[in-house]
Amino acid sequence: MKKIINLSFMFLLFHAAASGQPDSTRISGKTYPLSRWTLEPGIGLKPYPVSDFLVSNVLQWNIRKKFSLVSYTSYAYNNAFLRRFNYIKTDYNFSLTQKLGIGTSFYSKAASHTFSLLGGIQYDSYKETLEHPDFEKVSFGLSSVRPDIGLMYNLKVGKKKYFFSYRMYLPLYPYPFLTSDINAVDGNMANISLELGLGIRLK
Amino acid sequence: MKKILPFLILLVVASCKKEELGDYLTKDFSIQSASTGATYHINVALPDHYHASGKYAAIYVLDGEDNFDFVAGSCKKYSRDYSKSDVLVVSIGYGRNRALDYTPTDAAEGDGGAEQFLQFINNELIPEMESAFGADTSRDSRILLGHSFGGLCAAYAFTHHNEMFGHYMLLSPSLWYDNLVMLRYEQDKRAANQARPQHVFMGLGEMENSGRMLAPYMAFYQRLQSHYPDMQAMSHLVPHLDHMGSKNPNITEALKFYFQQQ
Repeated sequence: MKKIINLSFMFLLFHAAASGQPDSTRISGKTYPLSRWTLEPGIGLKPYPVSDFLVSNVLQWNIRKKFSLVSYTSYAYNNAFLRRFNYIKTDYNFSLTQKLGIGTSFYSKAASHTFSLLGGIQYDSYKETLEHPDFEKVSFGLSSVRPDIGLMYNLKVGKKKYFFSYRMYLPLYPYPFLTSDINAVDGNMANISLELGLGIRLK
Repeated sequence: MKKILPFLILLVVASCKKEELGDYLTKDFSIQSASTGATYHINVALPDHYHASGKYAAIYVLDGEDNFDFVAGSCKKYSRDYSKSDVLVVSIGYGRNRALDYTPTDAAEGDGGAEQFLQFINNELIPEMESAFGADTSRDSRILLGHSFGGLCAAYAFTHHNEMFGHYMLLSPSLWYDNLVMLRYEQDKRAANQARPQHVFMGLGEMENSGRMLAPYMAFYQRLQSHYPDMQAMSHLVPHLDHMGSKNPNITEALKFYFQQQ
């Protein structure tokens, strides 16, 4: 498990350190503008196994041109399309996530590509009730806090104050951080997210 | 992108590790079933110091092609850890589609062939295990393990063929199936089944939050606790893991529960 963290850190730091670019808050001319701070609220979904809708926000602090600190926050409304199934009602089902991490960026003329390694916690809570006219009513809920570790790709397109943001998150938990059992990858897949947002250059 | 690709490949390779649980002797054979019309490949893991004239408990493993290695290795480990007699592990391969063999009724998600499949186990597989491998003939020495639809099939065996097995391991069972038909079966067959001594282990992943697993699981478990005075029942929820990820941790807990009871 430590291998992955070490490799990720090495990659991010090596790329950031090897950039050889002077720090600047804005690169003039035809290159992509660099801002110290960006705020990127967005909406998205977790497509597997059933659609979970989420709202999220990314706050990025570009310490250097190719090295940044990233904060990611989200609320997910889970299991959006299957709240009643075979006399089973989902009373509530949501996840709250807060992650922090480091990122490195690549720039082209019209876009920037940021790859981040994020770590934090996720709070999940859900409750189901069995409501069948012939059976006893049974309700049961579960809540848990768990680590959330993963890699995020963030595409920013647009040179003005407001820009388009696309994010894709690949979880590395529970496989391989919690367990080396490849069966557990369904837990990773359940937390893959695809998001679209509107970014704002703050400074 | 060329810079990133080797990094991503390295990540995947670095994270791959196979869990190893030890060696065991196996024998395999096939049965052309008169009950289902299909051919089932059977793999049997033999206990330490196995002798054909001995009497051994037998764990019948559904989805055997996926679960056999882990169950056989774990049995070896926990029988030693608890200083208990090892068991025969009988892997039942896929004969027909599992959505046919493991489901009790013809519904949207399955075709309802569990009755025929259990007839195959009862009339063809168990007699073969008893005559050729020294499997004990008592009900208490037969264990059925299933996950997901396999867990549903094991629950159906519990309600409709309770005389076959004395131990049931229901892992993430699909009790939502066909408008909760298994809860109805449990209710209908309760009077006939509740007097028998038996052990039932139920397991689920805490992250199985797809809106169908938790409520029927708890309803079934609460019924077992309330209405079966001679039953030893246990429920185990695996933290942080989903439907497939919780399978092996729950197999581990189910086997510990079994060997502790011996």
